[in-house]
Amino acid sequence: MGAVSRTDTDGLAEPAYDSGQALYHLPEKPLVVIEPHRSWVALNLRDLWAYREVFYFLMWRDIKVRYKQTAFGIAWAIIQPLFLMFVFAFFFGKLVRVASDGAPYPIWVYVGILPWTFFSNALANGGNSLIGNSNLITKVYFPRLLIPSAAIAAGLLDFSIAFALLLAFIPFYGLGLTWGMLMLPPLVLLVTVLALAVGTWTAALNARYRDVRHALPFAIQLWMFATPIIYPLSIVPDEYRWVIALNPLTGIVEGFRAALFGWPFDWAALGFSTAVTILLLVFFVYVFRRMESSFADVI
Amino acid sequence: MRPIIKVENLSKRYHIGTSPAHRGALRYATLRESLARVASAPIRRLARGGRSGDETIWALKDVTFNVLPSEVVGIIGANGSGKSTLLKVLSRITDPTTGRVELYGRVASLLEVGTGFHPDLTGKENIYLNGAVLGMKRREIARKFDEIVAFAEIDKFLDTSVKYYSSGMYVRLAFAVAAHLDPDILIVDEVLAVGDASFQKKCLGKMDDVTKSGRTVLFVSHGMEMIAQLCQRTILMKDGRVSKVGPSREVIDHYLGL
Repeated sequence: MGAVSRTDTDGLAEPAYDSGQALYHLPEKPLVVIEPHRSWVALNLRDLWAYREVFYFLMWRDIKVRYKQTAFGIAWAIIQPLFLMFVFAFFFGKLVRVASDGAPYPIWVYVGILPWTFFSNALANGGNSLIGNSNLITKVYFPRLLIPSAAIAAGLLDFSIAFALLLAFIPFYGLGLTWGMLMLPPLVLLVTVLALAVGTWTAALNARYRDVRHALPFAIQLWMFATPIIYPLSIVPDEYRWVIALNPLTGIVEGFRAALFGWPFDWAALGFSTAVTILLLVFFVYVFRRMESSFADVI
Repeated sequence: MRPIIKVENLSKRYHIGTSPAHRGALRYATLRESLARVASAPIRRLARGGRSGDETIWALKDVTFNVLPSEVVGIIGANGSGKSTLLKVLSRITDPTTGRVELYGRVASLLEVGTGFHPDLTGKENIYLNGAVLGMKRREIARKFDEIVAFAEIDKFLDTSVKYYSSGMYVRLAFAVAAHLDPDILIVDEVLAVGDASFQKKCLGKMDDVTKSGRTVLFVSHGMEMIAQLCQRTILMKDGRVSKVGPSREVIDHYLGL
């Protein structure tokens, strides 16, 4: 075998290849330069944009796979928050009689459950996304930031479905449309960005320290108690309120309620949440980018 | 003629004998400090307590070579000689420790068949997912879809989850997607030995087409016949270094001790 007649060149200088050379018009500058990691990294938005279809397909895969081989399918998007609402409404609304700022407790708690369910699922899915996609990370290049982003964005579908159910509740509880509802899109954006910030960081830490996987469910549970989901901020005594208010999710959840019930917004709290969210995003995405190139080696 | 791939003094160091948390510790010292301050101080202290030695190994050391456009270059060497690490660095999966690579074309790398395949998705869905992950645009996949299905010979099972596929069907589908990639530079790691004899022949034929189409190919294999048949030039790796470069026959004979 080996019908090769290429042994006539020395290979190093001018290898023998036949046609095809004319096909190439080599660019003046390299398309890709591979160098050791620098201490300062850019976000590299151009790369993210170039790989946007990978983001789309990863998100699509996460949505498709989530409810494959389930009997209830996409209905799970509603079952989870709805049952939480029943449970909370019974224990806290009926038995403990937690105040709900004048709104009917069930719908009041549901409005809190919505962003919370999205946020906690985003954190859990985003935080485990790098480990879950280790086969991709060790075999193919694309900006790793797309993995947690897609996992988190995929949760927006469930959120929309659960939100549609909320709209069905509104006439049932005799509530009307309010101007405050115009604030809903920015609030959804804010909770998504916050989930993205914390989720990417969790994912990066998780890739290196598997402790995160054990700490995460526990941390999410604690975070829920630190957020006014099942209780209103107004019943928290003044001396503890700052703890709850430091949590960027507090302003967002309270914002959702203000928007839907037509209550006045706490702009200071919302502004604080926005500022913290942006700071966290910048810092955590930076940390992620710094760790990114080592993922394939440590995961 | 200018090279399409320029590799200069490429080195890659791995840390061994330490916990995974400390691989790359040298490079990430600053980050680790800052992280530790912010969040993971207790974890870090725990991890440091269990620290064994800090041995390092150079998986690549001062690797330098050029590849001209349309060249098909083989890479051979014993296990652990750095072939796969080299491909991983060239594919941007892992960073080099020192050195520099310049690529003057679009790269697609094929380090395993079926990267990103999801068992719960159907054959059709996996074609799209895998194609996208390997760098194809959605429109491109749609255009080549029928060709891919025909090549894989799985048209009856397009809407079946791939977890129900036989292993032969699975690799055929995976290879079919990969075979329809259309980059300037193709990086391939030992993935051709899939399927039964007749499909292997088909793969080789496809590979031959690819190499004749004027594409630049870097090809790692232990199959010396395949290398001799497909590649004009071959690089022999030994202990992370380039030990010999030259016409495939010569290098293979040298490697086999002939």
